[in-house]
Amino acid sequence: MNKLRGYIFARPFMGERAPQHVQNIILRDYCNKKGFELLLAATEYAMPDSSMILESVLDDLDSVDGIVFYSLYQLPTSTTQRQSVYSRVLASGKSLHFAVEGMSIAKQDDVDSVEQCLLVKATLDNCVSEVEV
Amino acid sequence: MVFTSDEDLAIANEYSALGYIIRPNADKDAYKWIQQSTARVAANALNIGKPSDDEKFLNEIHNLVKPSALNDFRLKVIQGLNALPEFRLMYFRLAKPYLEAIVGNELAMQQRINLSIQMPNDSSSLLPVHADTWSGDSPFEVVVWLPLVNCFGTKAMYLLPPTESAKFSDDFSARGGSSSESIFESIKNEVKWLEVKSGQVLVFDQSLPHGNRLNNESETRWSMNCRFKGVFTPYGDKKPGEFFEPITLRPASKRGMSYTLPKIS
Repeated sequence: MNKLRGYIFARPFMGERAPQHVQNIILRDYCNKKGFELLLAATEYAMPDSSMILESVLDDLDSVDGIVFYSLYQLPTSTTQRQSVYSRVLASGKSLHFAVEGMSIAKQDDVDSVEQCLLVKATLDNCVSEVEV
Repeated sequence: MVFTSDEDLAIANEYSALGYIIRPNADKDAYKWIQQSTARVAANALNIGKPSDDEKFLNEIHNLVKPSALNDFRLKVIQGLNALPEFRLMYFRLAKPYLEAIVGNELAMQQRINLSIQMPNDSSSLLPVHADTWSGDSPFEVVVWLPLVNCFGTKAMYLLPPTESAKFSDDFSARGGSSSESIFESIKNEVKWLEVKSGQVLVFDQSLPHGNRLNNESETRWSMNCRFKGVFTPYGDKKPGEFFEPITLRPASKRGMSYTLPKIS
């Protein structure tokens, strides 16, 4: 059975928030449904913009088959950093999974869908949320 | 002006200087109840009879549980204990006067108490160096850490004292993302190992880096931990209702929270 390292957040991400125990439940459910073994989740530091824990998870890629994020909105906000995450994972023949969205990246072609969701979400934060008629 | 009693002030000063206090359990009956309940729930999980000596049974659990079965066993025990209605009250009673001196008397308590079982030479239940605040806990929280057996040597936990911790914090960007092992290597000569005996309780500042190492002693460590904070102090990522619950709200606060000014129109 392929092993995925869990990855959750200890702070809000792109305007969203979920309790840590709920994030873990969603990871477990995703892995159960997809037939992966879930390894104890690493919790990203609470400091704003930190992806230090993600970096240490990436350093340990050799020991797992991939990483499962609670949400794709927990990817680094910097485009350069995100591209680096994708290329490190794909170059190692591993995969990224996003439990809430049910999406994954196992090859370069998969990156676009994830990037589009991220960009739309970031743009929506700057759009009107309600129109009064 | 400080109106704190001499006794409370001594506890407060010691906590501020060291980052922790170790004291006798404030309620010995509560401790006996917790130790006995834990041994009984554990024996039940193993389908064996009630132990004749609770502490010896806990210390020697590695003779009955394989490392590969440890996490499932641990979960069964802590779920069994958390299902007992008196458990959290008993736990609170162990440290009530110390919490009142360090935190205050209107408290929020973690909803589910945690259990750690660390068998000799078992690397599966290690807790790498961390501060709870790095993972979203509020710096207003303290941990009440309860050993159910004598904890000494590598069977104990360690803590980085406040002065050394402040230096570590200044250098965090260089060291915080490194592996836990390299972080530990860089602080191993500065950490303090906390010997806590069965019958004592430790209250420590969870914002100070802490953790444990491989237990090289011949006995198994059993310890519990639970977070407390002032109910009206800022919350981190762990919120009231989902992680904390108010346990000692006072009438004036209840009145204040429901009060509304008279209507004027």
